[in-house]
Amino acid sequence: MNSPRTTLYRDQQNAKLMGVCSGLEDYTGINAIWWRLAFVVLTISTGFGIPIYFALGLLASKKPDHLYVDRDEQRYWQRVRQSPKRTAREIRARFRDIDRRLAEVETYYVTSNPRLSAEIERLR
Amino acid sequence: MDPEGVFAILAIFLGLPWIIMHYITKWKTAATITTDDEHLLEELYQLARRLDERMDTVERLVGSDNPEFKPARIRHDQDIDNEPLRELDRLLAEKKGARP
Repeated sequence: MNSPRTTLYRDQQNAKLMGVCSGLEDYTGINAIWWRLAFVVLTISTGFGIPIYFALGLLASKKPDHLYVDRDEQRYWQRVRQSPKRTAREIRARFRDIDRRLAEVETYYVTSNPRLSAEIERLR
Repeated sequence: MDPEGVFAILAIFLGLPWIIMHYITKWKTAATITTDDEHLLEELYQLARRLDERMDTVERLVGSDNPEFKPARIRHDQDIDNEPLRELDRLLAEKKGARP
């Protein structure tokens, strides 16, 4: 499994300590503050928080610099990681939308033929 | 040995690993995407985006030539569409203003 967009990274640009929580934010789309809070609560309640944090911090590699072009792409890959099936359906919906719009333009040109009516108008 | 102790030992040494293994196998068989799937999704995403942008341009061009053409949109007024389209509208207006 070396797919670059479905692995967990440490996001050191938005890091507080090692970038684990901001990496989790990047991975899931849930704000890093909740992850930080969860680690604090986990540490206080069970004591596992700090070991898990450092295990993740040592295991996860650094996030590549230009993984996503923009926010939309980042959000898209977050949805892919949550549910690839749903994202595939969304992509299909987008293609259907484009197909429908193209059909609309085509129908407009076929039925009303604006250029021909404009020519007739000019000849009058 | 009292029954409570037996139960505790069974729970820790049989029940707990059972539950963990159960969820690990479930997690492993769950839908994970391979590198190929990822490439495919990446390509589809970029393609959908490009086509969407082209379609926007085509609709605007048709609309500027024929004012009665109104494209019906399912998701209209998106910022992602509007920002580049405003630019296009501005360019079209400039061009129209320069021509006559």
